[in-house]
Amino acid sequence: MSSIILEARDIRYRYPRGMEAIRGISFHIRRGEKIAIVGPNGAGKSTILLLFNGMIRPDAGTMLFDNEPFGYDKASLRMLRKRVGFVLQNPDRQIIAPTVYQDVAFGPVNLGYSENEVKAAVEGALRYVGLEGFERRPPHQLSGGEKKRVAIAGVLSMDPDILIFDEPTSGLDPSGSEDIMELLDELNTQGKTIVISTHDIELAYPWADRAILLLKGKILQEDVPDVAFGRPECVRKAHLSMPTLLELYFELQKRGFSLPGRKPRTVLDMLNVIDRAFQNRPCYTEPGSITVCNVDSEGLEPFRYWLKEHPDLPVGAMGTRAKQLARDHQIHLDFTYGVIDKCILKALLGENSAIVTTGSMISRVSKRVDDFGKENGLSILVSIFNASTQKKA
Amino acid sequence: MYEEFLEDIAQKNGLREVNTTLKLITGLGAIILCLLSTSYLPPLFIAVLLSVSVLFLAKVDPWTYAGLFILPFIFALMSIAAIILLTGGEVVFWSWNPLPWFSLSITRESINEGFLVFCRMIGGMSALIFIALTTPMTDIFSIMRLCRIPEVVLDLAMMIYRSIFMILNQLVQTYQAQVMRLGYGSFRESIQSFSTLCGAVFIGSWGAGEDLIKAMDARCYSGKFAMLGETRPMEVLPVITVALFLVLSSLVVVLARDLTLLGAG
Repeated sequence: MSSIILEARDIRYRYPRGMEAIRGISFHIRRGEKIAIVGPNGAGKSTILLLFNGMIRPDAGTMLFDNEPFGYDKASLRMLRKRVGFVLQNPDRQIIAPTVYQDVAFGPVNLGYSENEVKAAVEGALRYVGLEGFERRPPHQLSGGEKKRVAIAGVLSMDPDILIFDEPTSGLDPSGSEDIMELLDELNTQGKTIVISTHDIELAYPWADRAILLLKGKILQEDVPDVAFGRPECVRKAHLSMPTLLELYFELQKRGFSLPGRKPRTVLDMLNVIDRAFQNRPCYTEPGSITVCNVDSEGLEPFRYWLKEHPDLPVGAMGTRAKQLARDHQIHLDFTYGVIDKCILKALLGENSAIVTTGSMISRVSKRVDDFGKENGLSILVSIFNASTQKKA
Repeated sequence: MYEEFLEDIAQKNGLREVNTTLKLITGLGAIILCLLSTSYLPPLFIAVLLSVSVLFLAKVDPWTYAGLFILPFIFALMSIAAIILLTGGEVVFWSWNPLPWFSLSITRESINEGFLVFCRMIGGMSALIFIALTTPMTDIFSIMRLCRIPEVVLDLAMMIYRSIFMILNQLVQTYQAQVMRLGYGSFRESIQSFSTLCGAVFIGSWGAGEDLIKAMDARCYSGKFAMLGETRPMEVLPVITVALFLVLSSLVVVLARDLTLLGAG
């Protein structure tokens, strides 16, 4: 198990002249984890997040970063805030500067980077969130999703270890929310620890490694999502509702079907559960294959020509940059979220599909597909797109 | 939001990618030439050239462009009427002495003078509007830094620029909410609604200011503000065009120096 990066020990906090918002909370976050802090309005979610980067100081208890107690002098706070990046709920409140470039550069400039380092940091962050070419745009002309990504880029450019998101998907349309959640996943695979606060359980359930249920300034439950969200009395107490997939699983279980022990987190998992329950085979035909195009090595032009020969092939894109590039090359995308699962679902129906992604994500595709194959005694072919596959196909 | 701001037009105008300094030189050069001109012709010549470039190069909607001239035009007509009536001259067309110490007259010289001022104003306005429509504020900030405007002033200007749009947005939303609940039905109600609107926006901007400080703190603010310098090079064709424009206009200023509307200066 990896080391603890952030820890709270019996934290209490009362707003000036207000009620006690945090009433004795202890927990820890490990490096590389994805944590969802879930609770109803007014449970203290935002307050807890503000404790993480020293924006507020607890009245009692200790906050630790890397096993060192927080220092609340100016220099320590600067160091802390460089390593703990915070993305506010309302990007309009976070974006300070008149242009996208200036805003993303705000952190690096204040950290004293040289001009070239600032430039590199900004370019990297903007490419990461898929906003290349937006440098000179003023923020008030951007859409909600774009503003959110500017806010994220502004924090990413400081290269923090932990990223804290207060309600990352509030005010975004479903596709915008999915894009942001995938971006969070992507950041996590790059080694960043991610903490989000949300009251959208359907969103947190498949995404989080661990969920912390909060109610009236106290921790109600802290566990892996299927346990944390799997107790009806807890969920009801926290004014939330159980994830649909989990509820379906429990209903099947109550009807006496024999189900796998692992709770379903995605539609693919659920299908698997149903297949087991009714003793179906997962796949009745020869499984289809998945072609993966690496945008870093091949570029998208040959892939686009190849797609012209396979007009009905469903294509998904994984990763913000891959999506952006696919859109730039006018490749129509059928899936942009949960892409691997959707391609496996296609393969189970005997259909082929393709994924556009960046080099670092390819191993994730083959690992997920292999794991699924092993579990179900199937083999789904994953091939990397290059000039030779082009000829073969 | 329903309104389109000059800034929004400038952000997507056809000359957006031309070097900012060049555009400013064009506009400021034009203003100076209009002021130096002793004849009505050069300012009109400049106005025509700049209008053509705004309409065809920057591709600004002609009606929007015409709309921008309406207010200054009315103002100019009023001041020119005053100039024509109050300035004296040799050849008198009309005069009226209502009081022993006060007279109004229209003379050849006063018409010449009035028309010159009017043309200068048209030329100057078109130059100013040329800058406003082709150079967004965000680009002007980087030029301001080059001109050694104090950092504090510049940082404040940039934050104000950012806040204007946020506060305006809130203003529009609050106003709409009031209208939807019939807040401007009678005169009395209008006064009441307007005062609550001002109050709400004031409190809102106060809150936004506090949030701004928090947001800056959270991102390690230490008194520095990033700046995206000018990255667009001075290309040969625009430089030649601007030089040609300025030389041609100066030539007209010199050649037409003695030309007046009704002759004899």
